[in-house]
Amino acid sequence: MNRISKPPQWPLRVMRFFVKEQYIEELEGDLEEIFHDDIERYTIHRARWRYSWQVLKLLRPMLLKNFNPQSVTPLPMFRNYFKTSFRSLVKNPLTAFINVFGLAVAIGICLLVYTFMEYDKRIDQFHVNKDEIFLATFFADREGEMLQYGFAPRPLGDLMKEDFQQIKHVCRLEDRSVVIKYEENVFHESIRYVDPTFLQMFTFPLKWGVPSSLNDLNSIILSETMSVKYFGDENPVGREMTVIFNDQVKKAFVVAGVANAFPKSRDLEFNFLVNFKNIEIADPSYDLNDWSEFSNATLVQLHHASDVTSIETQMAKYKTLQNDAQPDWQVASFKFEPLTTMHARAANIRDAIFHDYNLEGRIGMPIIALFMIMLACFNYINIAIVSASKRLKEIGVRKVIGANRMRVIVQFLTENVVVTFFALVVGFILCAFIFLPWFVQFTGWELELQYLDKNIWIFLLVLLLVTGMVSGIYPVLYISKFEAVKIFKGSLRFGRKNPLTKIFLCIQMVLACITITAAVVFVQNNDFQNDRSWGYQQDNMLFVSVPDKTAYDKMNAAITPYKDVERITGSRHHVGKDNAIAVLKTEMNQHVEVTQFVVDENYFETLKIPVVEGRNFRKNSENDKRALVVNELFVKNMNLPKPLGVTFGLDSVQYEIVGVVKDFHANDFFRAIEPTIFRLADENEFRYLSLRVAEGSEKEMYQALQTHWMKLYPEIPFQGGYQEDVMGSYFNSVDKSEQFNGVIAAIAIMLASLGLYGLVRLNVSGRTREFSIRKTLGANIKNIAWVIVNQYVVLTMIALVIGAPVSYLFTKAYLDMLFAYPMPMGISGSLIGLLLLVFVLLAVVSTQIKKVLKANPVEGLKVD
Amino acid sequence: MKKTKLGEFEELVLLVVGALGEEAYGVEIKRELETRLDETLSVGSIQSALKRLEEKGFLTSEFGEATQKRGGKRKRIYTITAYAHRTLAELKAIRADLWKSMPKLSHALKAI
Repeated sequence: MNRISKPPQWPLRVMRFFVKEQYIEELEGDLEEIFHDDIERYTIHRARWRYSWQVLKLLRPMLLKNFNPQSVTPLPMFRNYFKTSFRSLVKNPLTAFINVFGLAVAIGICLLVYTFMEYDKRIDQFHVNKDEIFLATFFADREGEMLQYGFAPRPLGDLMKEDFQQIKHVCRLEDRSVVIKYEENVFHESIRYVDPTFLQMFTFPLKWGVPSSLNDLNSIILSETMSVKYFGDENPVGREMTVIFNDQVKKAFVVAGVANAFPKSRDLEFNFLVNFKNIEIADPSYDLNDWSEFSNATLVQLHHASDVTSIETQMAKYKTLQNDAQPDWQVASFKFEPLTTMHARAANIRDAIFHDYNLEGRIGMPIIALFMIMLACFNYINIAIVSASKRLKEIGVRKVIGANRMRVIVQFLTENVVVTFFALVVGFILCAFIFLPWFVQFTGWELELQYLDKNIWIFLLVLLLVTGMVSGIYPVLYISKFEAVKIFKGSLRFGRKNPLTKIFLCIQMVLACITITAAVVFVQNNDFQNDRSWGYQQDNMLFVSVPDKTAYDKMNAAITPYKDVERITGSRHHVGKDNAIAVLKTEMNQHVEVTQFVVDENYFETLKIPVVEGRNFRKNSENDKRALVVNELFVKNMNLPKPLGVTFGLDSVQYEIVGVVKDFHANDFFRAIEPTIFRLADENEFRYLSLRVAEGSEKEMYQALQTHWMKLYPEIPFQGGYQEDVMGSYFNSVDKSEQFNGVIAAIAIMLASLGLYGLVRLNVSGRTREFSIRKTLGANIKNIAWVIVNQYVVLTMIALVIGAPVSYLFTKAYLDMLFAYPMPMGISGSLIGLLLLVFVLLAVVSTQIKKVLKANPVEGLKVD
Repeated sequence: MKKTKLGEFEELVLLVVGALGEEAYGVEIKRELETRLDETLSVGSIQSALKRLEEKGFLTSEFGEATQKRGGKRKRIYTITAYAHRTLAELKAIRADLWKSMPKLSHALKAI
């Protein structure tokens, strides 16, 4: 009989599953016989098909297995299960608490992470036209690497609207900072110049006013926050606000609309909107037809999203126009980024109006959630296995009465799901009232639980079933295996011999080890980051932002007489506040992107940035107007063995390197130091005045600066501060992440030790009689302690040997991901982590030893 | 007679089992019925009838020989019980009685 003439297998499996066992042999035989008859009569294919068909026709009530053997309703049975579950929970309140609480915390964190991920996923997805909106971006070659930029040449938007039928709307966008004045309120604000199409393309409904008013050059539209800031709760439509573009140009605008509060999951937003044409009033030199200049963003809306590819292929003519006008920004190709995936891609697009602040959260948070739920599940598994010893008799009785293994499994899994459900309810409450408000308060992400969204309930249901099953399946399979007779004979010694139980306990300790190590290392890293040198001296330094040279001169004159002033410097940019991107052209005609600071000759000495090679700028030197000072990283990246004298093209002028300064942090420690150049500033370019003052006079001088400013410019608010504060937001975010990691670590340590505690406690109480006998026979504290500790020693050793390297690698990877300059990791973190874990273990075990020692052996022997 | 509900198909199956004697197992019963009735029957319909008849006490069964063609699975040979025999006889008598009255009835019908 060859293989092909065998009947198909799958119908057989179906039949074996559904049809009563006593009929199987006969039916299989009959079917096979018919099958062979069929082969002789029809093709093999037909025969097989007939065979399957016959099997399916076999599925009749008369022949099917009885899947519900009890004709009585199973309800009382389940009621009994609930009752026993509840009783066993109440009987061991501590174990129940550890289980429920541990799971609840883990579930709460999972829910928090889910809410965060959901929030992140929804960002900017509320715009009705989101599928048709694209941001114009382009690629440029930087030393062989294609970088994507999120801004576009100024004339691009206008021309594209004329050239392409497929484009429905174009919106150009410029961001500027201005001073806004309404009656006595004067603030520095950022304002968006947009085409009136902005409000048609994007879904920002207005609370008051009409969107079309943006066509009017004198209209201004406010966000809700800004409306409240200037006008309180009243309707400001029709009020007049003055926008001070700079100290020469100001213009009165009429409030024409106020937007509704923005949806919480958003990235694109605005404070103030005015018609795009106003940019020409604010900046008379602004030339819309200048291909060598860029605007902050150009957004297009198409009639059909699918047209984008055909448009992209026809962008070549703009590329030529652009590349002829601006040799430093050679565009390789244009690309239109869809709004739907903008947020996820934002990290790859440079200088776009869209941002992605959540990248680290998107990676880190699910890891944390997974960790927590794993820890809780392992706690549960270990405790469940041990606590089953107390319920052996119940299982025995059930089996004797007639429960088969399936029944016991169903019973315990149900019980498990019920416990998980309790935990879920508690976890939900924990998340909604503790975790989430805390998280929102310190991250500033406006997360909220979407009660109305069905996905969250599906997520909870899945979480319930998965957690319930995962944590329960092994204990249940294990418990249900026991034979009733052995249970009653008392010959069952379990738990300690089972290798899987040991593995679980080991995994639990490894997890605990990782968590504790991570917690220690994060705290260490935080200290490290706080103490890290910036590469220049931040203390005793002040700065003030000035609008122009006149203001600089006036302030300079006012402040110079103070004896506490050690040195004053003027600059276009300032470390920590402002810098520019410059594109250098090497002698090999390659383009290099660098950070640029335009400063005067006093800058390095004021900030105390050491010059390591060459010289500083010279005052009033015509030659030095073509000189560059660069940082060490630049020299290293460009591979210049003799940097002095090397020339670079910048804006079609040749510059020569005259000096090299030490690397310093122009940004926070999350970001790597960038190759940086300094150019000598013309006095007309000055926008910052910075000064180094005598030790201890910082506060006084700050007040002096402020007073002089108020006298000189009563209409413009003072913008200045301590140099130490420029990275305020950075320290804020380091503090945040420290706080977050700290709390998470504390919770994890608590979960881990709770789990261990529950385990040891159950183990000891399960051996009460043994210890009582030992005591009556004269065992002393040493013997008892050894007996208890003994069984954990080897396990702990193994766990530590595995846990230490794993936790080392894990925390290192995590740090490397977060920080550009992570703390160089030694073994001290792991070592402290290990010691802490051992300490926790010892503390847990010693409480139990104490309990055993205190207990009266007579009472212990009476225990059943 | 009241309590024994014997369906038309069940009656046929029962008769075939009786007729086949020692050869009465699933495939043979199916084959015989198909030739007699001149239609295709599914294994399921015959088997469920057989099981029902067995439950009602019309049939007994036991395992018979196994053959290579059956993949080494044993046949189940069905035998009709005395009770079934009696019931079938009763049914036959009732039918015969009824047939006797047929011609008169058809004359009457014609007359109308």
